[in-house]
Amino acid sequence: MSKKKFHPFEGIWRDNTVLSSLMVISPVIVCGDTLRNAAALIYAFSAITLLSVLISSFVPKKLPYAAKIVIYALISSAVYIPVKLAAQEFFPGVVSRVGIYFPLLAVNSLIVFQTEAKFFRMPKKHMLVSLISYIIGFDAVMLITAFVRELIAYGTINSRMADADTLISGLGLPFGGFILLGLFCGVYRALRSLFTGEDKEAD
Amino acid sequence: MLNKAKQDRHVWLDIILTLCTYELMAYFYYGMRTVVLAGICAAAAAAAELVSVRLMGRRFTADDLPCTSDALITALMVPAVMDMKAAAIAVIFSVVAAKNIFGGRKNMIFSPAAAAYVFMLTSWKTQVLQFTEPHVHTAIFGKAEELVNSASHAFNISGSLDYTNFELIMGNFPGPSGSGCVLLLMVSAVVLLFRRDISAGAFIGSVAGTIAMCCIAPDSDTVMHSIKYTFITNMTLFASVYIVADRRIAPRKEHFAFFYGLFIAVFSYIIVMTTAKENAIVIVSLLFTPVALGIRNLEKRIDLAVAEEAAAQSANAGEEAAAVE
Amino acid sequence: MFLITDLIALLTANLILTQALGTSTLFIAADNRRSLIWTALSITLFTTAGSCAAYMTDWLLPAAAKDLTLLMYTLSVSIIYVLLLSALYFISRTTFNKAKKYIHLSAFNCAVMGTLFTATGRASADPSAFSISSYVLFGLEAGAGFVISALILTAAYRKLNSAKVPAPFRGFPAMLVYLGIISMAVYALK
Repeated sequence: MSKKKFHPFEGIWRDNTVLSSLMVISPVIVCGDTLRNAAALIYAFSAITLLSVLISSFVPKKLPYAAKIVIYALISSAVYIPVKLAAQEFFPGVVSRVGIYFPLLAVNSLIVFQTEAKFFRMPKKHMLVSLISYIIGFDAVMLITAFVRELIAYGTINSRMADADTLISGLGLPFGGFILLGLFCGVYRALRSLFTGEDKEAD
Repeated sequence: MLNKAKQDRHVWLDIILTLCTYELMAYFYYGMRTVVLAGICAAAAAAAELVSVRLMGRRFTADDLPCTSDALITALMVPAVMDMKAAAIAVIFSVVAAKNIFGGRKNMIFSPAAAAYVFMLTSWKTQVLQFTEPHVHTAIFGKAEELVNSASHAFNISGSLDYTNFELIMGNFPGPSGSGCVLLLMVSAVVLLFRRDISAGAFIGSVAGTIAMCCIAPDSDTVMHSIKYTFITNMTLFASVYIVADRRIAPRKEHFAFFYGLFIAVFSYIIVMTTAKENAIVIVSLLFTPVALGIRNLEKRIDLAVAEEAAAQSANAGEEAAAVE
Repeated sequence: MFLITDLIALLTANLILTQALGTSTLFIAADNRRSLIWTALSITLFTTAGSCAAYMTDWLLPAAAKDLTLLMYTLSVSIIYVLLLSALYFISRTTFNKAKKYIHLSAFNCAVMGTLFTATGRASADPSAFSISSYVLFGLEAGAGFVISALILTAAYRKLNSAKVPAPFRGFPAMLVYLGIISMAVYALK
């Protein structure tokens, strides 16, 4: 059996959580329209995913697949409670604005499915580094998308007025998120194939 | 192949010629600003097409020119006082996101003009649905002093219009800059139908659907009034010719295209009737894209099945002939 | 006429086109007819049964313990998930092997969890919607909405994956843009 080479920053560039694997895209599409929302979602996603995957890594591997999935989902739902309480302190108002996407972050596919398929097949140290890189990958896309959408749709940067005269308000809406994320995905793939000389999806 | 390319260029030329007549009419009603708006849209579309075609590793040829006719259609669907930058952004969006991302003219999915219009409607709704009165000429880079709702809005709300028949036929009422003159539209429709530039099935289906709905559930005091006002307002006839009957989007077989047009007309009529949504036919055309694609997939399957059956029959006939010999 | 207005209402309330819930699952479902049917069936089952469970949770959970809502929903969906897998396993091993992939995919999915939270949000905004029938109907509507979105994507699937699409945009990026434009048209209808 050939051992797969470990790439510590795979989750940031080569296998980005959002742009490559299309995981956790709904919060990016719907709520990633302002930097304030993005900051709250980044905090929640990072905290929930990191803690949930770390705690889940102690679940016995011998359990049936379905049982493990259920346990992972329950762990992340439990982790969500203190994270939400803290978010209400740090980001007052944002939690209610983000609405259902806040709890939905807790049952994201990176925690529920990728843990089993990816992270738990690695040694603990590698798993931690890889997990952090996947989280940073999500955070970076969320920030960039929110920055672009806030600037173009509302003419502001972190709620401060910017010098933009023609605003495209549609980009702040879910359909704008779909279209912009699709464009970003394409540009990301083009750049990835340019820098790494590979084009996984095209093949 | 060469004939097909020639045919496509002729289609573009015919469509551009008909659109130029509306542009002339728009110039008469709204002045030079509408011509400049159309020019900016066409230039933006050509530039966006050129850049994206080069990025796709192809050369820009005369076959890529239909982007300019799509841009002209878009320009004719908006008010003459529409912000030019916004219109240019919408046209670039239609060329890049609604067309070239999917492979361009060889793999069309959406009508670029419909996508551009709906994009403007969702991002600059007030600008798209506020018009100047006809014969009010706004300066090229000036702002309109008085804006009014369109005649379509008045009809959708009240079910009647306060204009003479001559005014209605000539498009002499507040509305999109070039899509109101029914007389010109009818002439263009006939010309384009005879030149086979538009899908006859989809166009007839759309017209038949609208007439049928006007008879079943008239949205005015009489059926005749309902038919008259429905075709004149909400860009019904304009969209039936240039968006619903677009050969690149509509199903290829005329009988399928007929039902495609019919359903678009029925849906948009009901939407206008129940929600008073202005220009619903353009939105519904965009929403019916998956239907057109589904029908095209079905057509391909039928063609494949027919070809397979013909091949099997000819093989059988060959075997029989060999056996006889 | 009422059928058409209902269809338009279903489209404008579609969870995928308006809230992007379950988009990545949709991409998998639209791949072929078999996965479309199985995924649509299991999503509908989870949204409907899950909505029932969400009603019970909302009814029983005291206001002071609202922070436990997600945990309770996850627990409810987990029970449905385990029950469904066990039932299929004992009824027919072949069906179980065929369907388990789609059940795994559907259980803890944004579309399912999003439906439960949306149903709850709707009930708290409008107290008349706080009834089991309203929750179940909403779950069914969400499932039907998923089917409609899957059909919309299936119609263009071949074109979006065609060799004519530029390589970087082929597949998922083109699908996102396609859904975005359809979503834009749905938004314009609202």
